[in-house]
Amino acid sequence: MDGNKFDIKNLLLTKINRKLTLLFMIVALVAPALGIYYFYISSVSSFPGTLSVTQAPLLRIVAIMIIILIAVDAGIIGFFVSRSISKPIRELYNATREVEKGNYDVRLDIKTHDEIEELAKAFNRTTAALGILQEERKEIDNAKTEFLSITSHELRSPMTPMKAQLQMLMEEYFGKLKKKQKESLAIIIRNADRLDNIIVDFLEISRIEAARLKFNFQETDLAQTIIDTTRFMEGFAKDKNIELIVNVDKLSILEVDPDRISQVFRNLISNAIKFSEGNSKIEISAELEREYILFGVRDYGCGLTSENQIRVFEPFFQVESTSRRRHGGTGLGLAICRGIVESQNGKIWVESKSGKGCKFCFTVPLTPVRKIRPIKILFSQKGVIERKIREEFKTILGPLGNGEFNELKNKNALGKDDLFGYVDSLTGQYILTPERGLDFKNRIEKIFGYEKDVINKKEDTIYNSLGDEVLKRD
Amino acid sequence: MTKTILVVDDEPDVRQSVKMILEVNGYKVITAVDGDDCLKKIIGEKPDLILLDIMMPGTPVGEVVKQIKETKIAFMSVVRISDARKRGLCTQDNIVDFFQKPFNVSDLIDRVEMILNE
Repeated sequence: MDGNKFDIKNLLLTKINRKLTLLFMIVALVAPALGIYYFYISSVSSFPGTLSVTQAPLLRIVAIMIIILIAVDAGIIGFFVSRSISKPIRELYNATREVEKGNYDVRLDIKTHDEIEELAKAFNRTTAALGILQEERKEIDNAKTEFLSITSHELRSPMTPMKAQLQMLMEEYFGKLKKKQKESLAIIIRNADRLDNIIVDFLEISRIEAARLKFNFQETDLAQTIIDTTRFMEGFAKDKNIELIVNVDKLSILEVDPDRISQVFRNLISNAIKFSEGNSKIEISAELEREYILFGVRDYGCGLTSENQIRVFEPFFQVESTSRRRHGGTGLGLAICRGIVESQNGKIWVESKSGKGCKFCFTVPLTPVRKIRPIKILFSQKGVIERKIREEFKTILGPLGNGEFNELKNKNALGKDDLFGYVDSLTGQYILTPERGLDFKNRIEKIFGYEKDVINKKEDTIYNSLGDEVLKRD
Repeated sequence: MTKTILVVDDEPDVRQSVKMILEVNGYKVITAVDGDDCLKKIIGEKPDLILLDIMMPGTPVGEVVKQIKETKIAFMSVVRISDARKRGLCTQDNIVDFFQKPFNVSDLIDRVEMILNE
């Protein structure tokens, strides 16, 4: 129905309008026409002698005139009557479109004193109920973030005296320790530190989710920031004899938050060190693009499978369950990196081949974003949705799907509208048949939780698309 | 001469832990439970340094530090120094350091020593 919004026919006469007007005209034409015709016949046959030659055609003309007048009247009445039905329906349609977009404040004011008014009232009640649900969802979301923030603070405060006492014991403030006592204490301290790291990460996530992440923008020599960060990380790399190579463009002085960029880099480099073999190298790069700076950390470690390339940014995700034990860490580092980068409207992704190492990239726009928006990290649907979309890409596009998906993801174009545009471009270039394109769109809609637009064509498309494939293979 | 340090924190375990650390290292330590208590203790004891927690019940720390003109102050806090700056703290000249909780014992001692030797 949409798509030709500017069609004049649609603007004046909706489909219902047109149908009903036609119905009125037919009924109004046929009934009086029959009546008048009968009257004409009967009057002619009852008074055959009295009707003169001139009177008969006059009578005929009058009869036709009356029929036409009634038809025009009926048409006009039909138009208005049917419009009184179709107009509120159109309003209802527009209102449902608004609700679809997530605007739950929309209310209908239809006073037709019939079933349509009742429908509109029911619609208003449903929308209000949806609005309340949405409101509740937001509140639960906020409560989650708030809970996270409060508990993290509360968890953190006992850490201060605990760690202080442990360190005093370890440094033999209260007398000499035996070897076994020291070993035991070392384990307690190590785990207290780990617990503290997790709490710190939780706090950071609660800040990101509540849009309370602080950025201190200042004129920065980024090349220097990167060199300093790398030098700081060299201490950790030395243990595995890994060489850190800095490959940075000449970057002009830019307004960024050097601490946050350094934080992301430290996370990425420490990951790279963890997953590199001994005696290898890690390359750190920064390039100035037109609207952003592209940073990269490349390692030559075990690499990631395509599925894990998305999942690494999920909180608590570890490539293998054993890896947490082997590599330590909270499992929140990359999720926090994503939060920091996306808070600045940047993008973060990983390019990798299993066994060939990986390159983590992130971008920082040249203009700092001061109005920070909340980014969902814990219990976010994003990861799940992205995984499903990737599956569909593989199903529909075959081996090409993965690459295409990654490209769209890198462009941050995985929204529903972006994907629809992408499918349209595929059908436009005859890469996909229109039926297959439609099927693709339906699958995407389903992932995003929408009902299918074209329900009765569903079977059709599946048969067609399968038929296509068989034909091509023959 | 033994230097005196005033430790102000609403949490008894933190107070006691800091007191233990400093006493082992040869300082005289007195404690206060909040800002008002801190102001009272300063008058009688004339400490050389105040270790002051930022978040305590009672009078806001911002108000408390305004009344301390002479004595050196070092803040202790679970929040970061950047957050403390945003709250308008850390502006006075006699605020000399900031200890992020949970602190490292040897680091705390080193820095306290440095402040008191200045």
